[in-house]
Amino acid sequence: MARVVLRNLRKSFGALEVIKGVDLEIEDGEFCVFVGPSGCGKSTLLRMISGLEPHTSGAIEIGGRDVSGAEPSERGIAMVFQNYALYPHLTVRENIGFGLSLARVPKEERNRKVDAVAEVLQLGPYLDRKPKALSGGQRQRVAIGRAIVRDPEVFLFDEPLSNLDAALRSQMRIELTELHERLGSTMVYVTHDQVEAMTMADKIVVLNGGRIEQVGTPMELYESPATPFVAGFIGSPQMNLFEGGAARTMGCDVYGIRPEHLTISDGAGQWVGRVRHVERLGADTIVHLDVPDLGPLVARVDGGLTYAIGQQVHASPDPERAFKYRG
Amino acid sequence: MTRKSAYPYWFFIPAGVIFAILFIVPTVASFYFSLTYWDPFEARFAGWDNYVQFFSEPFLVRGVLNTLFFAFLTSALKTGLGLLLAVLLTSGIFAQGFLRSVVFFPVLVSTIGVGLLFQELMHPTQGAINVALAAIGIDGPGWLVNPKLALFSVALVDVWRGVGLATLIYIAGLSTIGPEYYEAARIDGATRWQQFWRVTVPLVRPATNTVIVLSLIGGLRLFDLIWAMTRGGPGFSSDVLASVIYKQYQAGFWGLSTAGNVILFLMIAAIVAPLAWWLNRRELEA
Repeated sequence: MARVVLRNLRKSFGALEVIKGVDLEIEDGEFCVFVGPSGCGKSTLLRMISGLEPHTSGAIEIGGRDVSGAEPSERGIAMVFQNYALYPHLTVRENIGFGLSLARVPKEERNRKVDAVAEVLQLGPYLDRKPKALSGGQRQRVAIGRAIVRDPEVFLFDEPLSNLDAALRSQMRIELTELHERLGSTMVYVTHDQVEAMTMADKIVVLNGGRIEQVGTPMELYESPATPFVAGFIGSPQMNLFEGGAARTMGCDVYGIRPEHLTISDGAGQWVGRVRHVERLGADTIVHLDVPDLGPLVARVDGGLTYAIGQQVHASPDPERAFKYRG
Repeated sequence: MTRKSAYPYWFFIPAGVIFAILFIVPTVASFYFSLTYWDPFEARFAGWDNYVQFFSEPFLVRGVLNTLFFAFLTSALKTGLGLLLAVLLTSGIFAQGFLRSVVFFPVLVSTIGVGLLFQELMHPTQGAINVALAAIGIDGPGWLVNPKLALFSVALVDVWRGVGLATLIYIAGLSTIGPEYYEAARIDGATRWQQFWRVTVPLVRPATNTVIVLSLIGGLRLFDLIWAMTRGGPGFSSDVLASVIYKQYQAGFWGLSTAGNVILFLMIAAIVAPLAWWLNRRELEA
């Protein structure tokens, strides 16, 4: 377990600066998620922590030790890759024990450690199989096993669930969260999926264009997004954001209201619009409206309510939950 | 059950006819003519005489052994050097593209041209190699005139000529290995050497199998380079099966020469088919 500190970390590829001075503290045992759109620098930042990507300037501390120039293997980290990076010619046992075998750990000790990890991850029956004989979820667990067996101070995950189907992803989210609770290790996790970020993180770091937009707990980001970017990125469906004339009538430059903080009624309301599309999710229904002078508006309503396409309805924001940004 | 239509099989006919004319008919005809004494005007049945004679001539047996030695030596060297060169030429070294062309260039040159060039370069007294060695005080060997060295010298030239193709196949193979395998190994503390042995060598195996099989077939069938450089000499010291067959043909022993061809065909099939099967099986297991 260890605290990770990034000080004014920068990375340039030639003239292009992709990480523009990141300062961040990840506490010991914390599950920290880097989230942001494609190209925001989240994977690059993770790879800089791992040492796979050298940084241009700044400093990285892990467990109070400056590891800025250290080799990846000397940083006390383990990494789980997006496509698992399992060696196809090795069995599950050999894959998990690969690092131990490189370090010439005696076979008996190696087997004991691999067995212990396999038990934690329920991989016991698959130890003699090759990766191609495993399902996506099992491969993911082997990749995690390979990280656990190193007993690292910090786990790094680079979009580890993006190759799994929705059902398995949801299951693996729970498994990873439970694993974090059991191991109590510091974990840094990269994803572009804000649902993963919200459900798993102790702390979310929202990145945009190589800079940190906001750092906070999932609910802090949901309740008090510091910028329109964070407001739009955190929460599903996305927050309704209006600029220009519509926002100015509300006394701001950008006006935001979450779909769940809108009320739809047949009677009176702040805005009048027509139903363009209805998505029924069961418990909830997502209603897409076209509101003249405002544009498209999305509302989340109770799943029991029904609306017809083209129907005229009224929408009213909860003023207490609206966000107003200037500049 | 639906009965399979015969219609698709019609499409096999053009390729089948070409294959039959160019491969099956000559192969079957060779088997037949290897059992005869033949010339363009007549063929007299000889039973197994040609085969018996082939194996009773000591220099012919020497040709078989030389062929095996040559094929396995060149195949091993092309495989090993090809992999090392490919690793070097994919490591981002200076002038990588140019160096790739340099390594591949000998593949494009005519084999006879290469043979004649090296015959000159390997001349015991006036050849550039021995002149260069003499300049640094080394008495160069008789590359092509020493019976113990001649076959080995031709093998070196064959490796020089053929390693470019092996390198090209390996470069293609290496490009399929994702960088994350090396990154995972680096995080696990693998040294460069461990990365090579534990990641590159096993993961580039399909390319290795291709290089081994192709270079072995090439080595077993080799004729032109031997003929251009030594004509099997001195004596019979660098004769391989193909050059022996050609000499028999030149001498008018066409039946014996055909029997040699059949033996060469069977030898290649007997070595390469099980090897390819074994290599592919191991590849599938991985």
